[in-house]
Amino acid sequence: MLRIEGLSVAYGGLKALVEVDLEVSEGEFVTIVGPNGAGKTTLFKTISGTVAPVAGRISYRGQDLLALPAAARAHLGMAHVPEGRQVFKTLSVDDNLQMGAYVAAGRRDWVRNRKRIMELFPVLDERRDQLAGTLSGGEQQMLAIARGLAGSPHLLMLDEPSMGLAPTITDAIFERIRAVHKEDGLTILLVEQRVAEALESCDRGYLLDTGRVALHGSYETLLSDARVKKAYLGM
Amino acid sequence: MKRARVSDLAIIVESFFQAAVAGILVGCIYGLMCCGLSLIFGIMRVINFAQGEFLMLGMYFAFYLVTGFGLVAFLGPIYGPFLAALLAGPVLFVFGYLLHQYLVGRVTGVNVIGAEAEGHYAQLILTLGLSLVLANGGLILFGSVPQVIRTPLSSTAWLIGPLLGDYVEIFINQARAYSALVSILVAVGLFQFMARSSLGKSLLAAADNPEAASYMGIDVDRAHRLAFAIGTGITAVAGGLVATYYPFQPYVGIDFVIIMYAGVVLGGIGSVAGAFLGGFVIGVVQQVSTMVLPIQLQNTAIFVVFLIVVMFRPHGLFGRSAERT
Repeated sequence: MLRIEGLSVAYGGLKALVEVDLEVSEGEFVTIVGPNGAGKTTLFKTISGTVAPVAGRISYRGQDLLALPAAARAHLGMAHVPEGRQVFKTLSVDDNLQMGAYVAAGRRDWVRNRKRIMELFPVLDERRDQLAGTLSGGEQQMLAIARGLAGSPHLLMLDEPSMGLAPTITDAIFERIRAVHKEDGLTILLVEQRVAEALESCDRGYLLDTGRVALHGSYETLLSDARVKKAYLGM
Repeated sequence: MKRARVSDLAIIVESFFQAAVAGILVGCIYGLMCCGLSLIFGIMRVINFAQGEFLMLGMYFAFYLVTGFGLVAFLGPIYGPFLAALLAGPVLFVFGYLLHQYLVGRVTGVNVIGAEAEGHYAQLILTLGLSLVLANGGLILFGSVPQVIRTPLSSTAWLIGPLLGDYVEIFINQARAYSALVSILVAVGLFQFMARSSLGKSLLAAADNPEAASYMGIDVDRAHRLAFAIGTGITAVAGGLVATYYPFQPYVGIDFVIIMYAGVVLGGIGSVAGAFLGGFVIGVVQQVSTMVLPIQLQNTAIFVVFLIVVMFRPHGLFGRSAERT
């Protein structure tokens, strides 16, 4: 579904990504883990088009993504839930969801998607007329995910949904992510620093370190790797 | 004569109501022109000093449509001038769109993310220059003789009264009254567009968080261009309406650009409806102040009220904070 080949990104002279290869197949749950500054967010921004690469190829369902401007990529059925939530603070919760449904598929499925979203995150229904900026951190994260779902995506890209949240809320959010993967059949690409929780849910994972893919493989492969154990799981 | 017997009090009451009515009518038209700037400055946060010149272009466009194309002869003295004012909207919309595409867009939106002061310095210089070019270009093209769109309505009034036992009579200028009505209709249309339509909301979203907006599939550059074009068109319609009762020349913009900025800030940055009410308050204050202040000081009264409001409500009358407290 998503295929990345030899992707390199540089900010000025600083190399953020070096020849990254990554693949996500239809229906998979793929996790990218790695420390701060490993290039995880840069990778997501490059896929979505707000950062331009210096080399490499990205294709989504056979289409060359790099030939399209950022705004056009969302119309292909990929939703990016950005790091730090980035909800539209001055818009109401409902208007945020409507903006998530800006693409044609989202408008078509609006009624069904909205119902599903409120089922997953009932708190958003209670707060539907409230300005998004007045929500708590956890609620904003739920809204950011819900906004992504409102566009009827095939691929949901989540950038550190646990950032700055209490463990119980993080658990609740991970549970919802697993639910949309299993029940709604969405393909998930997740970036996380909480390695244990993230790997637990996924089919396959990539370990990104200083801009390079240090390791990739199945859930078991990653969990049994000495480097992962030592650096991220404290074992 | 009857007037000779009228008490001083009745004269004061009459002139107050007269000024208040004039203020309400003028306020509606000011409200509309503020809505135009509100889209550009209040929502998209683009500093635009040429907004007064957009108003001026709206005036001249409506003027030439009426005098040059015989719109009055064709549609009659009532509908002609107001149709001309409305037509200034789409024409100046296209003007604003092209202006943004080739000039203003280079210093707004995605092109200035992360730039110093979000591109405000560049916007300031660019639009100040644009303002001078348009005003002086207007002088060459249109000449310096003050014009007004002549309609029989400018010199006709409805008479209300006599009220309060024959003493108080209020005149409502028909040109202003129709202009105010058209202003309200256009403003309500704009509010509906911004609050109900997906496209209108996408403009707010693009201004709120350009990066997230582009992840939603919103073309942020186009959103900026549309907001700029709509803002230009709306102010131009207000210009066409003002032109039916207010003599204008190519330098008229400076008189109004100050009113527009004061109205947008007074109403609360980021709210189109707030900007309308901000402009409305300014119109009323300006007209009522002429009762006690010499006419040269009427803009001073506006700023005294402005300062008082901003002192007590720094976010403006209708501004609200979206941050969690």
